[in-house]
Amino acid sequence: MLERCIGERRIRQIQRATRNLKLTFLCLLLTLLVLRGTIGAGKYGTPQQDFIELRHRFISHPHRALAEEHQPEPKPKQSDKDDEPPLRSLNNPYSLGPKISDWDEQRINWVRRHPERPNFLTKTKPRVLLVTGSSPKPCENPVGDHYLLKSIKNKIDYCRVHNIEIFYNMALLDAEMAGFWAKLPLIRALLLAHPEVEFLWWMDSDAMFTDMAFELPWERYAPYNLVMHGWDEMVYKDKNWIGLNTGSFLLRNCQWSLDLLDVWAPMGPKGPVRTEAGKILTKTLKDRPVFEADDQSAMVYLLVTQKDKWADKVYLESAYYLHGYWGILVDRYEEMIENYHPGFGDHRWPLVTHFVGCKPCGKFGDYPVERCLKQMDRAFNFGDNQILQMYGFTHKSLGSRRVKRVRNETSNPLDVKDELGLLHPDFKAVQNRAS
Amino acid sequence: MAFNTGSSRFNLRASRYRVPRDRNIQKSFNNCKLTFICGFVTILVLRGTIGLGNLYGSSTASDDQRVMEDIDRILQEIRINSEPEPEDSFAFMYQGNSTTNSLNYTEAIKAMHFTMGPKISDWDHQRQDWLSQNPDFPSLVSGKPRVLLLTGSPPNLCENPLGDHYLLKYMKNKIDYCRLHGVEIIHNMAHVDKDLSGYWAKLPFIRRLMLSHPEVEWIWWMDSDAIFTDMAFELPFDKYKSHNLIIHGYPDLLFEQHSWIALNTGIFLMRNCQWSLDLLDAWAPMGPKGIIRDLAGKLLTENLKGRPAFEADDQSALIYLLISQQDKWMSNVYVENSYYLHGFWAGLVDKYEEMMAKHHPGLGDERWPFVTHFVGCKPCGLYGDYPVQKCLNNMERAFNFADNQILRLYGFAHVGLLNPKIKRVRDQTADPLQVKEKLDMAARIIV
Repeated sequence: MLERCIGERRIRQIQRATRNLKLTFLCLLLTLLVLRGTIGAGKYGTPQQDFIELRHRFISHPHRALAEEHQPEPKPKQSDKDDEPPLRSLNNPYSLGPKISDWDEQRINWVRRHPERPNFLTKTKPRVLLVTGSSPKPCENPVGDHYLLKSIKNKIDYCRVHNIEIFYNMALLDAEMAGFWAKLPLIRALLLAHPEVEFLWWMDSDAMFTDMAFELPWERYAPYNLVMHGWDEMVYKDKNWIGLNTGSFLLRNCQWSLDLLDVWAPMGPKGPVRTEAGKILTKTLKDRPVFEADDQSAMVYLLVTQKDKWADKVYLESAYYLHGYWGILVDRYEEMIENYHPGFGDHRWPLVTHFVGCKPCGKFGDYPVERCLKQMDRAFNFGDNQILQMYGFTHKSLGSRRVKRVRNETSNPLDVKDELGLLHPDFKAVQNRAS
Repeated sequence: MAFNTGSSRFNLRASRYRVPRDRNIQKSFNNCKLTFICGFVTILVLRGTIGLGNLYGSSTASDDQRVMEDIDRILQEIRINSEPEPEDSFAFMYQGNSTTNSLNYTEAIKAMHFTMGPKISDWDHQRQDWLSQNPDFPSLVSGKPRVLLLTGSPPNLCENPLGDHYLLKYMKNKIDYCRLHGVEIIHNMAHVDKDLSGYWAKLPFIRRLMLSHPEVEWIWWMDSDAIFTDMAFELPFDKYKSHNLIIHGYPDLLFEQHSWIALNTGIFLMRNCQWSLDLLDAWAPMGPKGIIRDLAGKLLTENLKGRPAFEADDQSALIYLLISQQDKWMSNVYVENSYYLHGFWAGLVDKYEEMMAKHHPGLGDERWPFVTHFVGCKPCGLYGDYPVQKCLNNMERAFNFADNQILRLYGFAHVGLLNPKIKRVRDQTADPLQVKEKLDMAARIIV
C-alpha cells in the first residue's frame, strides 16, 4: 500500500536511509562505550564507578564497620523494634550528655584526693586505659569469635608488658550511635568515670600488636591531646578521607577532649542525619566513596573545617605504625625477622597491624576471607613469638599454632635473661607506687 | 512501440519479483551479519569494562551461599591442619597388648623418670636475692601481694562456634575483675609440654611462670569456663600467710570419704616458692599422656570414691597426693569453703534474681558467689555432661549478672539476665565525680 502511495524507488531510498541511520547509531554507541571505558567521561562516570555504585546500593557494606551482626533470635523481632529509638530528624541536634565546662578542675581535685590512683605512673609515663570491644552477640561468621579471642589475648599481652589497663566493651551505650560511632559515647563515659586515667587509647578489635617491645614516646605527646596515625599534608591539604585513621588513637582525659567529642558526634546518629552527613563528607573529602557518615571521615572534616580551633592540639603521627595497614605489612614478616628486631615500631617492625576491611566477625569483608584469616594468624603468631620467647618458646612457623622450645630449662632460671628484656622492662618498673 | 507478448512482460514482472526476493534474502543476510558482528563487539567491550559476571547481577543470596561455602572450606582446612595427637613418649613400656600388660603404675613411673625440668632446691633463696636486687619489681604492691591470674584455652577453633564466643565473653569478665583488683592476666594458648596435655597443661606453665616472674607472689589458676560473679569480693590474703596452696573443697570429703570431687582444681592459688615447685614435681608424674595416664587413672579410680573409669586427671591426682602424703603437704594447704572460690553452677544460676533482690556484692559466698564455675558444660566441644541449651543460657545469665556490677559504674544495667541489651539506670550529670565518690561496689544492684 505504501508502495502505491510513494513509489517503489522512494521506498527503497527510505529503507536504505533507515538502515544507514541504524548503522550510524550502533557505531556511535560503540564508540562512546569504548571511549568511556578507556579515558572516562568526567562526571558522567566510568563503568568501574557505575559498578561500584551499584555494588554499594545493592550490597551496602560501608568500609570499616564495627561488627553489629545479628543472630536469628528465638524472640519475636517486634520487641526489638519497640526498643529501637525513633530516627532523629535533621533539625534535632544530638548531644552525648549534659555539658561539662570545668572538667579539668574536677579532675585535678579528684586526683589530689586519691593519691593511691595517680594519673602518672612515673614522671613521664601516664596511666593509660586501652579500650576495645565487640558485639555481645555471637559473630555471624563461625570463625569470627575465635579471632576476636586471639586479638584480645594479643592486647592483654602487650598491655601486661607495658603496664596499661584494658577495658573490653560489649555494651551498646547509645542505640542511635550504633556501628563505628559506638565508640564515642563509650569514650566519654569512660573519661568521666575514670579521672585517674590520663590517656584513653582506643583500638579496633581487628588491630593487633606486632611489636611487643615498642613503648610509646609519651614525652613527645606532652603538648597534645589527640594522637592519631596520619599525615598533615593528606589531611589539611588533600582533605583525603584516609589521611588519618581512627582505628587506633590516643585521647587525653581533659576538657578539650570532651569538647572535641561534642563536636565530633553530631554526624553520627543513625538515619537521615548520618546519610545526609555522608553526602557532605563525600563531597568535601577526596576519594571518599558514597556511604553514610563514618567517624573517621567526620574527624578529617572536623580538622579541615575547624583547623584553627583544634589542630594545635592534634598530633598526626607517622614516625611509627600506631596504625599499620595490613596489606603492606603481612607479606614482609619473614623479611623483618631476618633483618630487624622488635622495638622499632615502624616499617621495619610495625607496632600495630590493622586488618582494615577484613571484618572476620561478619560474612562480608572487602577482601577474600582466606587471605584475611591466614594473615591474621600470621600476624598473631608474629606478635606471640615475642611473648613466648620470654618463657623460652616460639611458634614452629608463622602459620603454625604449635610451639617449640628454644631455650632449655635450667636450675638457675634467674641467671637467664630473655632476649628482648620483656620480663622486667624499665617501662613496667614501679617507681611511684606506695608499697 | 508495440508491447511484447504477455510472456515477456510476464517474464519481466516475474524476474522483477525474483530479483527483489534474491536481494531481500541477501539484504537480510547482510543485516544478520552486521547485527552479529555489532553484538559481538559490544559484548567484548562491556566485558572489558565492567566484567561479564556482573552482567548477570549476582544476587545477595548466591553471594551468601558462596561466602558460606568459602568459610566452611577454610574451617575444614584449619581443622585438618590442627595438631595430631602427640605420640606416646612412653610407648616403649608396652609389653604385648594392653590386656596382658604387666606393668602397674608405680613400676611405670619408676621406669620413665618424668620431670618438668631440672630439680631446683633453693628457689626461696634465689627469689629473695632477686627481689632485693630489683626493688622496682616488688612482690608487694599497694600493700597487697602481687598476683598473676593464669587461664588458657586451646589454640584451635572450638568445635562449637558458640564455644569461642563464650571464651571471649569470659575473658572479658576476667579482665574486668582483674582491672578492678590490680591483678595481672596471662591467657595461655601454647602447649609447652607435649606429654602434659589437656587439663595437665597448666602444670608446666605454672612452673615456668613462677621461675620467670620472681616478683609474682601468687599464681592464680582459673579455668576458662569459670567466671567472677562477685566483682567486689577481695581475696582475704591475711588468712593465707602461712599457706601455699589455696583451693576450694571440703575436708570431710577429702580425708574421710576420699571423694574424687573433694577439691576443685579449676580455681586455685599457689604461692611462688620452693614448696610449690616440690608439689608440682610430686603432682605431675600422673600426667604424661598415654600409658602412664591410663595406668594412673586405674589407680585413682580404685582409691577415690565415686570416680568413674577414665585416664588420670589433675584433680583426682592432687586429691590422691594430698591424702596419701598428708603429713608432708597438708599443713600448707588451705581448703577454703567459707566463700565460693569455686562455685558449682548448677546450684547457683537459678538464684541470681533472688540474690539481686535480697543481697549485695562483696559477700563471695552462697548469697553472692565469688566464682560461678560451669563444670561439665564444655561449650567449646560438641558434647558436655549437661544439655547444651541449658548450659549456654546459664552461661549468658552468669555473664550478665557479673556485667551488671561493672556497668553500674557507668550508669547502666542489662535489661534482663538473658538479654545483651542494656538500659540506663542512672541519669548523666555535669558533676560525674560527685557520683563516683559515693559509688560503692558493694552496694545493692538496682536494675
